[in-house]
Amino acid sequence: MAIYSVGRRRVVIALLLTSALLLTLDLRGSPIIDRSRDIAARALDPVETAIGVVTTPVSRAWNGIAHYDDVRSENEALQDQLDRLIGTQAAAEAAVIRSQELQALNNLPALADIDTVVATVIGEGASNFDQVVEIDKGRSAGIAVGMPVVNQAGLIGKVTSVTDNSARVMLVTDRQYAVGVSVTSSSEPFDVGATENTTPSGITPDDAADAVSTTTTTTTTPDEGATGGQLPVPDTTLPGGVPGVTTTLSPLEQEALEDLSELSDEELAQLEDDLEAALEIESTTTTTTTEPEPVVVKETGALEGRGGRLLPQIRFVQDSPQFAVLAAGDLVETAGGSESLAPPGIPVGRVANRANRAGSGGPLLDVELHADLDRLNFVRVVLYRPLAEVEQ
Amino acid sequence: MFAAFVQGPIVRLVPVGVVLLALQRTIFVDLRIDGVIIPIMAIAAAATGVAGGSEGGAIAGFVFGLMFDLVEGTPLGSTAAALTIGGAVAGLLALIAADPPWWLAALFTAAGTAAGVVMVPVVRIFIGESEPFEARLGEIVAISAAAGALLSPLLVPLGRWCLRIKKTEWKGAANESASTA
Repeated sequence: MAIYSVGRRRVVIALLLTSALLLTLDLRGSPIIDRSRDIAARALDPVETAIGVVTTPVSRAWNGIAHYDDVRSENEALQDQLDRLIGTQAAAEAAVIRSQELQALNNLPALADIDTVVATVIGEGASNFDQVVEIDKGRSAGIAVGMPVVNQAGLIGKVTSVTDNSARVMLVTDRQYAVGVSVTSSSEPFDVGATENTTPSGITPDDAADAVSTTTTTTTTPDEGATGGQLPVPDTTLPGGVPGVTTTLSPLEQEALEDLSELSDEELAQLEDDLEAALEIESTTTTTTTEPEPVVVKETGALEGRGGRLLPQIRFVQDSPQFAVLAAGDLVETAGGSESLAPPGIPVGRVANRANRAGSGGPLLDVELHADLDRLNFVRVVLYRPLAEVEQ
Repeated sequence: MFAAFVQGPIVRLVPVGVVLLALQRTIFVDLRIDGVIIPIMAIAAAATGVAGGSEGGAIAGFVFGLMFDLVEGTPLGSTAAALTIGGAVAGLLALIAADPPWWLAALFTAAGTAAGVVMVPVVRIFIGESEPFEARLGEIVAISAAAGALLSPLLVPLGRWCLRIKKTEWKGAANESASTA
């Protein structure tokens, strides 16, 4: 058996110093190391594919044993969700069209205007300390480091390294991830109970799910049965004490109304007869102006990942009692900005818990993500570069 | 020099590392225990340390860690430094017994694996990452160490093969120490 000696200690120290040297080179950015990574990935690819094929039965057997109950209950939940989504699809499409029209009218940047690349998730990170996935599109598809990645549900992360035909995506839950977000809510009456410190920061997702189910949210929908509480349905009812709908009269119309009030009964009867005759030969259009519930941007802050099982958290936010108070149930989306890596308006999730902090630190908001990061198959890389980079 | 390189451990460590890395990125990503990925590269480095001492463990840890960093996209050298320490710790512990029985080798491998896993976030502190410690680091270390103990009967002989340690050498050393005692 080997005996410990000074020579052996020198070997260990030399290897550690070499590691430090490589770290320094890599962190300063070395094209040689980047090229080495490309070569290593290509060299490992066939071996990985072969071993993946050979070990697939073992993986499936393990998953069958370990996750059977989870898959079954998830399947039932998904079927239920699918039924509800079919019912709300039409309403959602109408809402999207109206939103795009409004954005076009206001010259706002829309996510639909930005090119995207669809990619398949081909692997997960092999480390317990990084939340990353690997996708099958890379530099050749126009993907670059920093671009945001979304799926149908919302934001899932950003590209952190790219090879010619693959890229690594740091998930929102990674401890190194941060993005500017805005917390928004409809201007519904605020429920005081929802501002209470629901759960201390540092909970697990399971705990958070329990907390969500017991937390009163301020979002309401006109028909809970039809929408399942998933999507807001616009209010299209006519005036009569219903909020959000108004009828406007032009000055000419107001003047005509005053003239009508000055007419005698006989003149009014004659006018009605003339009007009925006119209605028989002409169709008339009644125009009402509807105003949807305004979306209130309560606050902007920084969303930061906290590791695998913990919910991402929003920091650097403060309540503004005169406008709105941050609460569980508020929607979270990317805030954008000239230096932000993500464009504005990408849905991120919903505030699950609020943890108050003493002093001027402001509350911490745990965010339940819309996207299920445990089951990513197809993702969309948004080919977006911050304005600050584009100008350079 | 060429002959020394060919007869050195690198020639065997690299292909073994390629296979282990492919296993790490395929089956071991699926075979999670309570959400924890079994760090087969760290376990292999520790097992090599048990088989060949601190020097062999450090070399194996460096090679395996470097390959992991290259392919996984982690800062190059961060995992290499962590696994170097893990392999060296396992090798130092193995000095306690010249020819440890399987259960003692399993314990040493578990300890070396735990050291390697703990060192990953420690190294990341030095490269400026904020809060690199996972909230469930204890669980990760415990499961990794247990997996290391279970896999040591397979990986210690593999490490011995990688370092070209012949049976007569380690059995002979054991006999010498027994006769001295």
